Amino acid sequence: MMEKKHKKSQHSLVREIKDNLRASPDLGIKRCMQCGLCTSNCPAARHSDYDPREMVKKVLDNNLEVLDNPDIWNCFYCYTCASNCPVNNSPSLINQILREKILNTGGNVSRVAEFIEFGYNYVEKGVGTIPSTFFQDLVDDFGEDYPKLKHDLPDIRRKLGLKEYNLKGEAAAEVKNILKASGFTQRLEKLKKIA
Amino acid sequence: MKNIPHENILLFKSCLVNVEYPGVESSTRYLFDHLGVEYQVHPDQSCCTGLGYYYDLFDQYSTLALAARNFYLARESEHTNITTLCATCYAILKKSLHLLNSNEKARSKVNEILEEAGLSHMKYEANMLSSEENIFHIVEVLYSKREQISQKIKKDFSKIKVASHHACHYCKIYPEQSITSSRNPMLLDELADCCGVKVVDWYDFKKATCGAGFSQRFANRDLSLSATRDKLYALEGKADVLLHMCPNCQMQFDRYQPVLEKELGRKIGLIHLNIAQLAALAMGADPYEVVGIQTHTIPVEDLIDKIKDIE
Amino acid sequence: MIIMTNNSPQVEYIPPVYKEKRLRHSKNPDKIGVFLCRCGDNISNIIDMEKLKSSIKADFVAEFENLCSINCRRHIREEIIEHDLDRVAIVACSPLTHLKTFQNYADPLNPHMVEMINLREQCSWVHTDQEKATKKAIEVTRAGIEKLKNAQALDKIIRQTEKSAAIFGGGISGITAALSLANQGIKSCIIEKKPTIGGNMVKIGKVFSPEKLAEECALCILNPIINEVINHKNIHIMTRTNLLRAGRKATHFKLILEKDTGLVHEERCIACGKCAEVCPVEVPDEWNQKMTTRKAIYKTFPQAVPDVYTIDRENCIECGMCAEACKMGAIDFKLKPEVIPFQAGNIIIATGHENYDLNKRPEYGYHRFDDVISQMDLSRILGVNGPTQGELLRISDGKVPDKVVMIQCTGSRDEKADGKRYCSKVCCMIALKHASIIREHYPDTEVVICYTDLRTVGMYENYLRYVQDKGLKLIRGRPGEVSKKDGKLVVRVEDTLEGKPLDIETDMVVLSEAIEPSAGTMRIARKLNVGMNQDLFIKEKHAKIKPVNTDMGRIFVCGTAQGPKDITDSVAQANAAAAKVSEEIESGTEAEPPVAVIETSKCDLCGKCRNICGFKAVYKDEENMAVDPMACRGCGACAGQCPQEAIEIKGINDQELYAQIKALLSDKEEGEIRILAFLDNVGYTAADTIGYNRINYPEAIRIIRIPSINRIMSHHLMYAFNQGADGILMAEYPDECMLEAHKAKIKELTEKIAAEGIPNDRLRFYKAYAPHYRGLNKQFHRFYEDIRAEAKI
Repeated sequence: MMEKKHKKSQHSLVREIKDNLRASPDLGIKRCMQCGLCTSNCPAARHSDYDPREMVKKVLDNNLEVLDNPDIWNCFYCYTCASNCPVNNSPSLINQILREKILNTGGNVSRVAEFIEFGYNYVEKGVGTIPSTFFQDLVDDFGEDYPKLKHDLPDIRRKLGLKEYNLKGEAAAEVKNILKASGFTQRLEKLKKIA
Repeated sequence: MKNIPHENILLFKSCLVNVEYPGVESSTRYLFDHLGVEYQVHPDQSCCTGLGYYYDLFDQYSTLALAARNFYLARESEHTNITTLCATCYAILKKSLHLLNSNEKARSKVNEILEEAGLSHMKYEANMLSSEENIFHIVEVLYSKREQISQKIKKDFSKIKVASHHACHYCKIYPEQSITSSRNPMLLDELADCCGVKVVDWYDFKKATCGAGFSQRFANRDLSLSATRDKLYALEGKADVLLHMCPNCQMQFDRYQPVLEKELGRKIGLIHLNIAQLAALAMGADPYEVVGIQTHTIPVEDLIDKIKDIE
Repeated sequence: MIIMTNNSPQVEYIPPVYKEKRLRHSKNPDKIGVFLCRCGDNISNIIDMEKLKSSIKADFVAEFENLCSINCRRHIREEIIEHDLDRVAIVACSPLTHLKTFQNYADPLNPHMVEMINLREQCSWVHTDQEKATKKAIEVTRAGIEKLKNAQALDKIIRQTEKSAAIFGGGISGITAALSLANQGIKSCIIEKKPTIGGNMVKIGKVFSPEKLAEECALCILNPIINEVINHKNIHIMTRTNLLRAGRKATHFKLILEKDTGLVHEERCIACGKCAEVCPVEVPDEWNQKMTTRKAIYKTFPQAVPDVYTIDRENCIECGMCAEACKMGAIDFKLKPEVIPFQAGNIIIATGHENYDLNKRPEYGYHRFDDVISQMDLSRILGVNGPTQGELLRISDGKVPDKVVMIQCTGSRDEKADGKRYCSKVCCMIALKHASIIREHYPDTEVVICYTDLRTVGMYENYLRYVQDKGLKLIRGRPGEVSKKDGKLVVRVEDTLEGKPLDIETDMVVLSEAIEPSAGTMRIARKLNVGMNQDLFIKEKHAKIKPVNTDMGRIFVCGTAQGPKDITDSVAQANAAAAKVSEEIESGTEAEPPVAVIETSKCDLCGKCRNICGFKAVYKDEENMAVDPMACRGCGACAGQCPQEAIEIKGINDQELYAQIKALLSDKEEGEIRILAFLDNVGYTAADTIGYNRINYPEAIRIIRIPSINRIMSHHLMYAFNQGADGILMAEYPDECMLEAHKAKIKELTEKIAAEGIPNDRLRFYKAYAPHYRGLNKQFHRFYEDIRAEAKI
């Protein structure tokens, strides 16, 4: 009995990925032959210890250590690996699903902690924003012109004939209600709490 | 090549265009107006969630439900040819439609969410829109109008050398649907050629990412810049302008180039423009009132000075 | 008219047609004889033979111990003659094992006047209740006799295939096949679209030889064979010739060929080459992979066959200088392509392959960097008659490279758009061959092969070891791109065994390009209506047991037109194709019913029969639709489609079916269940196997043997239901080429039966597999139990 149970769990990571909504039904993960083409083109592999081929191997081996490997957080989500994988696999997508799994079980939340503000901003205004937590980093890199640009932006947009982009009133309420119904607001709260 | 629409276009606002390079949107509008493309911008459209999605923050259902709302706005306003300014919006919307059409479970869950949010009228039924036939990138519209663009060129760019950076999320997520090869992207190069610009068609790392990597730019700055460095170094001395089709890439190069130049100890000297900005400039648009060069970190003024009116 | 001489010389063999007429029109019906077999006691221990015998109404009934024994042959013949029997029923065992035996024993009767009733496999071996089994035996026997009464006498269909073959493609495969046929006395014509024969083999310089662990000169092996071909009296060669149209006849193909002249009178040209000397037009030479140039009038290579010059019309500017230079007056700008009607009994497709277009993988920079080349380019470079006279030199600067990196699977084993899903099979060996040559002659040049799997199957593994010993670097990884940095090519690959992405700097990159079906292969397949597989190679009829047959009778395939393979395999397959042509000519001449026959007067040429036939037996023969009896399986799919009811399946007619159905359902008692099982040959074999294994099933199961479920129409089924059938099971082997027809048939029957108000679980379909007899048995039981359970409620 024990042996059978063990056998069944052998493919659970692969199955979890195949069953994830993000994955398309024809994802070729099981056909991976470890050719390394993904790694050869991967910007993260080039500049860090991340190895998409190795990640896929661990998933195929159902080696749960892959979830503890900090290198998987180096993927750029550029999809270069997916675009020419000869068996139609997508390490980029697998990576997204693994990270989602980690976060859902409360792991490595500190990695996304600083991005939580993005979520709250979206809930309120229905637009994407760069979280203010990073603003000083950007100013350090981009120089003093950057805060000035942010200050002048409304004027510039007006000059360019562009209108307000933040959602207001009913539209904002609709977005907020959707995100409440989808469980997103709750998810943010949960992440915030753990963080 | 697939059918590219010239009317009923919903020009889909992009969060990074809004706040970093608003000139990309105004240039696009300028081009659409001058090329007879009928479009609309919807005031109630929310963002695609792409940044949040790739910050590992947004779940697929939230993204889908918000997409369904935007698809409703498109249908209601009868502007169902959704055309994006950003490559991530493009792929997020394509994926959303693909899932909503092909995955019955996802569709009914999304409709439940909409109902719970009191938005039953926004419910999505299979194949109301098509992933292949209703989602476009502005570059595709411009490409389909390239003959017309080339006839309207007023500025002489013949002395300017440009290279192209094709956005990953346009070329690589749905390679079979993009109108250029992901293996050797030439879409921007061909468009630039129509604007009368000299094109550097290949350089090392041409297909590689800009390095922004969504969360990497913030959480993993050095790694992010390593990828940006690969491309910028490969382009040193090869081109005057790097052309973009995605505000995230443009931001990565334009804003961080001085950082990398400082580290290198010399100027790389590339100017970064979106293809719509280049085409608008070439057609004689005002640099400040249309093209919005005042939001760029690398000054575009040097380039503006170099280009003269065509006699 | 044949006179029987055996025992009673006065007995005349009455032709079956005459007898049939007598049955239908005379008041004296045919005389029926019934021969019962006890089969030792295999039948008689369960079946009450006396009871059975007394139930039979016939002109003659007799019982034997072992009816198949040789002395019974005499008995059967004697009784036929003595009692003037016209038809005989053999009540014994399975027709699959003994029908031929008894048809032989019943000679002089037409074979179709013999019916076998299978009491052993379908009664005594599968039932244990003597009373019930006997009752069933009586009914089954009656059904067999009723069928027999309605049987039609048919003659064998004789057809003589014409003793000739057209071979498309003049590469090593086509040449080999032609030579084999010619040596067997069969006229063969090689039809080649290029100006010369020899195919790819003439270009590749060296071939790998695992036996000798060396590389041999390709042209030196090929030349003697080519010479034999040109001098053979049974071989005709037509170069620069294309197939325009093809028509199919019962015994041959009618082909319309177009021969381009190349603006040169072949018979006058002495190949002196003066024309090319004066020709002002220089174009890239395909023979050297465009690394050198040739003139617009040219001969492909010095040893080209036929040995004549030819004008490349695309590039010729018609300046006339060549014509002026030609002392033979061979050049004629007014020469027009000639349309030639051609007839051949058989066709061999040997149209070969093309190399993958490396533009489709631009990340490897084939068209971007001079020193990124293909293996075929390298073949030419290493060929002594190539652009560098065999020296390994870089195209960019003419220097010997210090390092060569080869990239395997370029375009092969790739699911992405424009990729080939299959393994091209020869590239590993080609890479090793070139590595071997380079390491032999340029020991200072490093050779690296980037591979995913090295496929050196069988004896070729020895060759791998041999090349490894010469010094070879193998990196397991599939490169992502080839770039250029500071004047050096850079191959980006992960060494997957080390887990490290590498930038390998090199002087030369060689791409092992995929093999893909040639444009000519696809064109000819469409013209001849021959099936292709999903990768657009010619599809063999059966990958295991019919590897050189196509899905079209008398058309065969060999070489790379059928799929990637090396010269050894191409030659083996070419010889096999030739053997099959020979077999077709010598022996493949008799077809046996059931076969479809089209009544031309009723046919309105709608073509539905042709479209449904997966065996491609139906074709249009000038004005009429016709059936190739050799290809026809008599399955009846065409008859079911025909709106004019112009098609009859000879060998199993409607009357036979109705008579059997009726008799098998007769004498049904109150509360008794009857299930008819229509089984094709595979299903029938499975049912027999249930019997061999003495596995029981309910007596309610009554089997009718059919060629295919396609033969059965809804009116047959409705007749059965109206006669009292409680259920109908239809079992058939899912033959790939008829899958669509099966699906359509199942849908049609299900819908029609439902429309008549029959509950849908009373008609069941089952995929039969000969070895899976237990599955069929389970179906029998389940069906019976379901109906019984329903009856109880």
